[in-house]
Amino acid sequence: MLEILKASLSVYLPEVVCILLMCFLLIAESMHEKEGTDRIKVYVLATAGLLLAGVFLVLNLSLAPTGAFYNAVVIDSFGTFAKLIMVAGTIGTIWMARQSGDIYTTMKSEFAILAVGTLVGGMLLASANNMLTLYLGIETLSILSYVMATLKRENSASTEAGMKYALYGGLTAGVMLFGMSHIYGMMGSIQFSEIVVKMGMLSGADQVFMMASFLMFFAGIGYKVSAFPFHMWSPDVYQGSPIPVTAFFAIVPKMAGLAVLIRISHLFFSEANGMSSAWIGLLHVVAALTMTVGNITAIGQDSVKRLLAFSSIGHVGMMIMGIVVLDAVGIRAILFYGVTYLFMTLVVFWVTSVLSDAYGTDSQAVFKGLIGRHPSMAIAMIIALFSLAGLPPLSGFVAKFNIISVVVEKGYFGLAFIAALNSVIGLYYYMKLAKEMVFSKSETTGDVPGFTDGVRVSIVALSVPIVLYGIFFGGLMTAAGNAVIFLK
Amino acid sequence: MNGLLNWILWFPVIGMIAVLVIPKGNDNAIRWTSLVATAITFILTLVLYANFDESVAGMQPDFLVKVPWIEQFNIFYSLGIDGISLPMTILNGLLFFLCVMSSWTVEKNVKAYFALLLMLQSTVFGVFFSLDFFLFYVYWEVMLLPMFFLIGVWGGENREYAAVKFFLYTFFGSIVMLVGIIALYYATGKGVDSFNILAMHGGKFSELTVTIFGNVFSFEKLFFWAMFLGFAIKVPVFPFHTWLPHAHVQAPTAVSVILAGVLLKMGTYGFLRIAFPIFPAASVLYSDIIGALGLISVIYGALCAMAQDDVKKLVAYSSVSHMGFVMMGLAAMTVQGMNGAVLQMFNHGTSTAMMFLLIGVLYERSHHRWIVKPDGSKGFGGLYTQMPRYTVIFIIGMFASLGLPGLSGFISEALIFLGMYEKFTTMTVLAIIGLLIGAAYLLWMFKRMFFGEVNPEVSEYEDMNLREVAYMIPLCVAVIVFGIFPAPILNVMKASVGQLVDLLAKY
Repeated sequence: MLEILKASLSVYLPEVVCILLMCFLLIAESMHEKEGTDRIKVYVLATAGLLLAGVFLVLNLSLAPTGAFYNAVVIDSFGTFAKLIMVAGTIGTIWMARQSGDIYTTMKSEFAILAVGTLVGGMLLASANNMLTLYLGIETLSILSYVMATLKRENSASTEAGMKYALYGGLTAGVMLFGMSHIYGMMGSIQFSEIVVKMGMLSGADQVFMMASFLMFFAGIGYKVSAFPFHMWSPDVYQGSPIPVTAFFAIVPKMAGLAVLIRISHLFFSEANGMSSAWIGLLHVVAALTMTVGNITAIGQDSVKRLLAFSSIGHVGMMIMGIVVLDAVGIRAILFYGVTYLFMTLVVFWVTSVLSDAYGTDSQAVFKGLIGRHPSMAIAMIIALFSLAGLPPLSGFVAKFNIISVVVEKGYFGLAFIAALNSVIGLYYYMKLAKEMVFSKSETTGDVPGFTDGVRVSIVALSVPIVLYGIFFGGLMTAAGNAVIFLK
Repeated sequence: MNGLLNWILWFPVIGMIAVLVIPKGNDNAIRWTSLVATAITFILTLVLYANFDESVAGMQPDFLVKVPWIEQFNIFYSLGIDGISLPMTILNGLLFFLCVMSSWTVEKNVKAYFALLLMLQSTVFGVFFSLDFFLFYVYWEVMLLPMFFLIGVWGGENREYAAVKFFLYTFFGSIVMLVGIIALYYATGKGVDSFNILAMHGGKFSELTVTIFGNVFSFEKLFFWAMFLGFAIKVPVFPFHTWLPHAHVQAPTAVSVILAGVLLKMGTYGFLRIAFPIFPAASVLYSDIIGALGLISVIYGALCAMAQDDVKKLVAYSSVSHMGFVMMGLAAMTVQGMNGAVLQMFNHGTSTAMMFLLIGVLYERSHHRWIVKPDGSKGFGGLYTQMPRYTVIFIIGMFASLGLPGLSGFISEALIFLGMYEKFTTMTVLAIIGLLIGAAYLLWMFKRMFFGEVNPEVSEYEDMNLREVAYMIPLCVAVIVFGIFPAPILNVMKASVGQLVDLLAKY
């Protein structure tokens, strides 16, 4: 018993570090007495802790897949890679939050604490190996997210966002739980590995029932990654939440949701049978509709936050294409996409955050004439936007190239053409923002107050990998390719 | 000689970096740096010409560059030059050099303007040199960025719309092409040659099929159309030409010159290098359609040009018309037709560059381009009395454009007609009518702008100055010399074009 616990903990160090970190952060925050004092220590502590977790994750990367805590969770390099993306995203958004007038002036360092907590949920989700752990992960992730969405208590949009998030989340979680219990009822187990074995023995009629429960199960995950038709909450929540929270939502819960979706699909449906073709068909439709709906709706948005919300729905649709193929190349493509998406999202949201703080609105007009005022910021933003649109030689192009190529390899040309057309739509609205920055004249001149030296250096530093991974993507691709998923 | 292509490709980038490090405000230093950079690049292309071996049909072995880029995907940094890309390379070197001279009067954001121009030159070289599909696509797309900003920032009143339309339209074509590139990657088996354009030549994909939503298609036919779309938008062939008039009219002079002079040729170059040799069976099968679209472009472009009151728009539509001849020459798939098409690509590059430069010269004086103003009054009139030097050069450019014997346009068009007469007899006759319309709109425009009473506004215009004459001279020489003696260009392309024609003749 003790042996198992010891062995489990030794591979579970990253999560342990994060849980302890959250406790320490609470203590550190409460040690500040006065309202107005600087909370820099909390941020440094959070960063140090997350970096430590990151180091343990990197060490885990080379580990052979192992089960821990009686196989309740599984540690494999795929999950670890996804967690690394989440940890990096958390570090980035925490510092974005520190600079953000939206949060820091009113909320002190609560963002950091909540973010670390949410991250723990996401990590749990990424390595869930039975139904219960999965549900625990989703709920930890969600409940803290609801709080994060309402961080600006006085702001009605923010509270509305939290409410919507909670209502939608509660509903889908309920549906998902219903599906899970049905699966448990039919299989007599919550353990993934046992369900897989029993799924192979199902009769034709039972498979139909089973598929229905998986459909309900999908509702919960689809909501987390905001896949069509469970995406409706995300634009409102994205718009209502403070920008660093939005950035956080665009990275961490999404990566966690995608990780679990990948794991489920690979575990249960990688063997060709009636159920797997139904699941692939479902993902086919979900991928195509998610990106099309996301991209088309993004066109008309004036609020940049809303636009980015819809664009992130589009990107999730793209990433789901990598799950449709159900092979190792698909996983590699998604992980690569995830890494590039992380950097692009951080740059885009950070610039937007500073500008909307300065102007008090996140309308596209705040970008007007940015090139004349802060050329480096405008260029970083343009790089990130065109990378999101998938233009070479930026990493977003390589990611898109990869993901389209995995579906082409399987012969899903229809999906490939839909993805290609979606890129054109995407380019249109990203270009509109770039256009505002370069072609339009700014109404005011002079520096934007939020672009301090530190912020500028951070943003430029974040945009460097966008270019580098677009030209020298061999190394990252190999790393993503080595991330194998734990099967059985 | 091994590194010469590298030098040509990267020298403009060196120039761009030099421009970027010059502190703001030193506009003249920036202009001279760009001029020197483009001049050296042009000289390098001439060195390339001097060392070119005319007897080699394929890629020149002396100039090949092949360095692994991303090894696990078999992506190479692979460059080469043959008789089809050489004329385009020289044209690119020449036109950018002249464009820098003509851009001396640009005052807005000088640094960014020249930096983008130099970046554009490098990417265009990249398209013509690339022998690796991935590299080719990267250059093909990166080229859109400087164009987008050049049109959008330095263009005319409606520049934003034009820039966006240009960008989106071309991006649409190329992303469909990208799916084709990926499909080819898998069709070749992901091996060491899976991005190698040359290794795919020769109709290796005619047996394959693909299934889309349950329908079975021929791989070759389907992806021929995917490639076709990408290239046809660039040419542009009717009905994909609608972005061109906007882009041309709104773009600053130098960018119009580059657009018409070299960028449009990238489309037809794509047919020659990629679509035809990789999918020869489909190309032959659909050559009637390509030829017919070319013919429609010729006639429709010419009729549209006739209807224009804006002289720049008129020339823009004349480009659609003239590129239609190139498409017809390609569709003929005979020795004369193909040679004529490649020669026309070069000749149209020089003559249309002249026209756009001349319109730019006039625009700097008049600040409008109306032959007939919207209110019905004459925009110009009697220019020949005021600007004799301008008139002489204009006449040379115009007659080269309409295909007067003795000037460059005639030879290439005649070759195209010779090459296509047997295959498309009726279409040849109709195309010659298109030529007639071409003569009509050009002469009519000339009459309305240069003859007649001297418009009071016109009487204030100064004739061309030395700088303006200087950048027109090389083009005048080119259209006259190659009109009488086209052998220097025809000889270099003969072997390469012949090889392609032989390949297509097998199908």
